[in-house]
Amino acid sequence: MLIQQLVNGLTLGAVYTLLALSFSLVMGILGILNLAIAELFMIGGYLGFTLIQAGFPLPVAVLGGMTGAAMIAIVIEKIGYQPLRDAPLVTPMLSTLGFSIILQNVATNIWGSDPAQLPDEYFGKQYTLGPVNIGEMQLIVLIATVVLVALVAFIVQKTPMGRALRAVAENREVARILGVSADRLTMLAFILSGSLAGVAGVLIALHYGTITPYLGVEIGLKAIAVMVIGGTRQIWGALVAGPLIGIAEVLTVAYGGSQVRDFVVYGFMILILLLRPQGLLGGARSDQGQRV
Amino acid sequence: MSTYYASLLAESGILLLGALSVYIILATGQLSLGNGAFMGIGAYLSSYLTVALNVPLTLALVISAIAAGIIGAIVAFPALRLKGIYLAMATVGFGEMVRSFFLNFDAMGGSGGYRGMQHISVGYVWLWAGGVLIAVMLLERSRVWLEMQAVHDDETAAGLIGLNTTVTKIVAFGVGAAVAAISGGLFAHHNVYIEPANFGFDRSIEFVLAVILGGSTVGPGSLVGSLLLVFLPEFLRPIADWRLAAFGTLLIVVLLVRRQGILDRSLIRTLTFRRAAA
Amino acid sequence: MSRIKSNLPRVLGTVAAVTLSAMVGGQAVAQEIAIGAVVPSSGPFAEWGRSNTVTLKMLEQQTNDAGGINGAKLKITILDDAAKPAQAASSLRKLAGDEKVLAVAGPLTSSAAEVTFPVANEMKVVSTSQASSKPGVAKLNRPWAFRNTIDEGVLAKTTVPFYKKAFNIKTVAVIFDAKDATASTVGKAIMPAVLKANDITIANENDLLSFNTGDLDVSAQVTKLKALNPDGVVVSADYSQAITVLREMKRQGLIKPVVGATQLISSAILKAAPEIPVIAPATFYATMKGPAPEKFTATLTPLLRKESGLPKDIEPSMYDANIYEIVSMYIDAIKKAGVTGKPADLEADRTKIRDHLAKLEGFAGLGGPIGFNDDGDAIKAFYVLQGQNGTWDTKVKGCSSAPNHPAC
Repeated sequence: MLIQQLVNGLTLGAVYTLLALSFSLVMGILGILNLAIAELFMIGGYLGFTLIQAGFPLPVAVLGGMTGAAMIAIVIEKIGYQPLRDAPLVTPMLSTLGFSIILQNVATNIWGSDPAQLPDEYFGKQYTLGPVNIGEMQLIVLIATVVLVALVAFIVQKTPMGRALRAVAENREVARILGVSADRLTMLAFILSGSLAGVAGVLIALHYGTITPYLGVEIGLKAIAVMVIGGTRQIWGALVAGPLIGIAEVLTVAYGGSQVRDFVVYGFMILILLLRPQGLLGGARSDQGQRV
Repeated sequence: MSTYYASLLAESGILLLGALSVYIILATGQLSLGNGAFMGIGAYLSSYLTVALNVPLTLALVISAIAAGIIGAIVAFPALRLKGIYLAMATVGFGEMVRSFFLNFDAMGGSGGYRGMQHISVGYVWLWAGGVLIAVMLLERSRVWLEMQAVHDDETAAGLIGLNTTVTKIVAFGVGAAVAAISGGLFAHHNVYIEPANFGFDRSIEFVLAVILGGSTVGPGSLVGSLLLVFLPEFLRPIADWRLAAFGTLLIVVLLVRRQGILDRSLIRTLTFRRAAA
Repeated sequence: MSRIKSNLPRVLGTVAAVTLSAMVGGQAVAQEIAIGAVVPSSGPFAEWGRSNTVTLKMLEQQTNDAGGINGAKLKITILDDAAKPAQAASSLRKLAGDEKVLAVAGPLTSSAAEVTFPVANEMKVVSTSQASSKPGVAKLNRPWAFRNTIDEGVLAKTTVPFYKKAFNIKTVAVIFDAKDATASTVGKAIMPAVLKANDITIANENDLLSFNTGDLDVSAQVTKLKALNPDGVVVSADYSQAITVLREMKRQGLIKPVVGATQLISSAILKAAPEIPVIAPATFYATMKGPAPEKFTATLTPLLRKESGLPKDIEPSMYDANIYEIVSMYIDAIKKAGVTGKPADLEADRTKIRDHLAKLEGFAGLGGPIGFNDDGDAIKAFYVLQGQNGTWDTKVKGCSSAPNHPAC
C-alpha cells in the first residue's frame, strides 16, 4: 500500500506544484498574492470539460483552457492590478479577491453548482505495475507538470524576457531606468501565471473527472502554503515542495488520521516561515516583504 | 424598529468589532488574515463559560478577551520576524489550524456545532461595539497611536529613535485578538449556535474587507465598512442570481476609485467642518 | 307616532346593513395570503435554491388558477439566504416581521436551520426545513420548528438490513465528510451503531476515514479503504462530495456496494460510477411511480428545464418535492384551521397553522401520507433505493413512524 500511497501523493503534489507555481510567478515578481488564480484554475477546468464533451481532442481542450484563463488574467491585470500597483499590497490583493468572487458567480450561473462530470469513458486506461495502480491521465498529469515547470524555468532563466522579469522583480525602478518596460512585463507575468493555472485546471479536472465552481477554494490555500514552503521566488522550489506536501498529506491520512491532515500542512508552512523563510530552495532572505 | 433591521444592526456591530481588531493590528504595519481564529476562540470560550459554567455574559466576554489576548501576544512573538505578505500567510495558516482544531474538538460539538447560549439584544451588542470604537478613536489621538504609526511607516527608523517596536507590535496583536474575541462572544450569543465553519478564512477576509473598504486610515472607517458589508447584500436582493458578482464588482470599483477606503481624514474634516491643521 | 313610524324603516335598514356587513366582514378572508420561503439561490447550493424557486412558483400558479385559498390569492415571497446562516435568520425576520407572512418554508441547510429555528420561535412563526436531516435540529427548537425530512437514524435502521441482505455484507469500511455536520454525525455515530446492531463489522472502526468538503483528491483514503478489503463501503457525505469518492473508488478498482444517508440521493451521483451500486433512502425521486408523484414530475420538469441557469437535463429532486409538500401543508392548514389572513389575526393565524401541523396526520404527500412527530420531524413513507447503471430502483418501502402509528 505504501508505494500506491506514494503515487497518490505525487499526483496530488503535481496539482499543488502547478498552482503554487502560478501563484509564485506573480508573487515573486510583483510581491502580491493574486487570489483569483484559484478561480482561473477552475475556469480552465470548465473550459476543458466543455471542449472535451463537445468532442475535441485533449490538446485542443488544453489550449482552450489556457487561452480562456489567459484572457481573463489580462482583464484582471488591466483593471485590478495596473491602477493599483503603487498602493499598499493588501489593496490589489483584495481586488483580485473581488475578481474571484465574480468568477465563482459566473461559473455557478453558466455551469450550475452541482458537480459537472465527465462520462466515465474518459478515464483512460489503468496500468497496473505490481502493487501499484496508475492511470493514463495520471501519468499525463505527472509528465506535464515536470515539462511545464521546466518550460517556465527555461523562460525565466534563459530567455531575455525572463531576465527582464527577474530584473523587475529585483528592483522595478532600476529596471525601468535600464529600459525595461515594467508594465508590459507585469502583463506578461499575469498572462504566464494565468495560462499555467488554466492548463493545470484542464489537466487536473480531466484526471479527477469532476468539477464544481468552488474547486479552487480549498486547493488555493494549500497551494499558497506549498509556494511558501518551496520558496516564493524559486521555480524549482514548487516542483520540490509540491510532491513533498502531497506525500506528507497522503501519508498523514494513511498512517495518522485523516483529521490532522490540515494541521500538518499548515503547521509545516508556519515552521518554514519561522525557521527558513526563504523556503526550502530559497537563496536570498525573502521574509523581507514589502510594507503592507 | 423591525426585528429584521435590528438583527442586521447587531450583525454590523459584531463585524465592526472584528474590523477594529484588524485595524488595530494593521496600524502597526502588520496584516492579519487570521483574526477569524481569535473570533472563534472568543466564541467557543465565552459560550462554554455561559452554558456549562453559568458565568454571567459580561464576565465571560472579559475572560475570553483576556485569554485570546494572551494567545494573540504569544502568536505575535514568532510573527515578529515576518513582514508583509509572509506575515499574512502565516496568519492564514494559523487561522486554518485553529479552525481545524475546533472541527475535531468533539467536547464542544466538533462539526456538529455548539448551542445553548442565551440570545442577546442588539443594544447589548452595540454597548460593546460602540464602546470599543470610542476607545479606539480616543486611542487615535494619543501618543501610543503615534508610536504605532511610526512602526507602521518605517520600523527601522522607529527602532533607531528609541521606540520599542517589539512591545508595540506584540501589544497591538494582543489587543486586536482580544477585540476579535469579544466579537466572537457576541456572535455566539446573538446566533445562539456556532460551528467551526463560522470562523475560517472567509470570516478573516470579511474583517479585512470591512476595514479596507470602509477606510483603512481612520477608526470610524471600520464602522462604515461594517455597515456596508452587512446592509449591501440585503439591498442587492433584487439582483438575486448575480448578487455575489455585484458585490465583487463593487469591491473592485471602490478599490480603484478610492483606495484608502470610503472614509478618510479629509472626508471627516469636511463632514465636521473642521479646517486642516496649518 | 308618525315620527317613529317614519324612522323605523330607516333604523331597521341601518341595523340590517350594519349586521350584514359585520357578518360578511367577519367571514370574508383578506385578499392575499402571504407565505414566505428561504432558499439558497446563490452560493454553493444555488441549484437547489433555484429549482425550489421554480417549484414554488409552479405551486403558486396552480393554487391561484384553482381559485386561490378560500377566494384569496396565494403569494409566496422567496428570499435567498446564499446558504449562509446569518442571511437565513435575517431573511426569516424580514418575512415574518416586515412581510408578515403566515408561515415560512425553509431554510434548506442544517447550518442555516440551527440559527434560524430559534428566531422562528422568537417571532412565533412556523419554519419548516425541506432538507435538514442533521439529527435533533427541530427537536431542540419546538414548538415552531418543523422539518419535512426524516431523521437519518430512523432511516438507517431500514436501509442497513436491506443492504446487508442484498449484498451479503459482513464487513464494511466507513468514510465521511468531516466538515459536514450531518455527514459526520451519520458517519461517526449513527451508521456505526446501526451496523453493529446488524452484526456487521466495521473494518476501520478505530480509524474512520474522512475527508473535507471541497477536497479534490481522496486517493489516499480510498487506497486505505481498498487495503482493508471490505464487503462494502459506507460513504457518508453530500452527493457532490460522494461523487469524488465514488470516482476514485472506480479508478482504483474498488467496486463494492456503497451505502449512505439521504444526502446521496441525486441524479448526479448515478453518473459517477454506474457499476457501483449505491444504496440510500429517499422520500422522493424523479422516476417514482404513482399518480401524485408522476403528475408532479411531469408538470415540473419542463419548467425546470426552461429556467435559465439550470442544467438542461435537470429533474425534480427530493428537496423540490419536500418544499412543495411543505407549502401544500400550509395551504391545507389555512383552509382547514380557520385562518382568516387578516392583519389583525396574524398571531392567531400563525398559531393555528402551527397547531394544525403538530397534529397533522395522513396529509396526502407525494410519496404517501405525511404527519409530524413530537420532535417536529416528518412521519412519512420512505423508500430504500438502489442506484446502479444510471437509474434508481425502489427496493424497500419503510415508514418513519413507530410501528403501529396510523400515519403511514
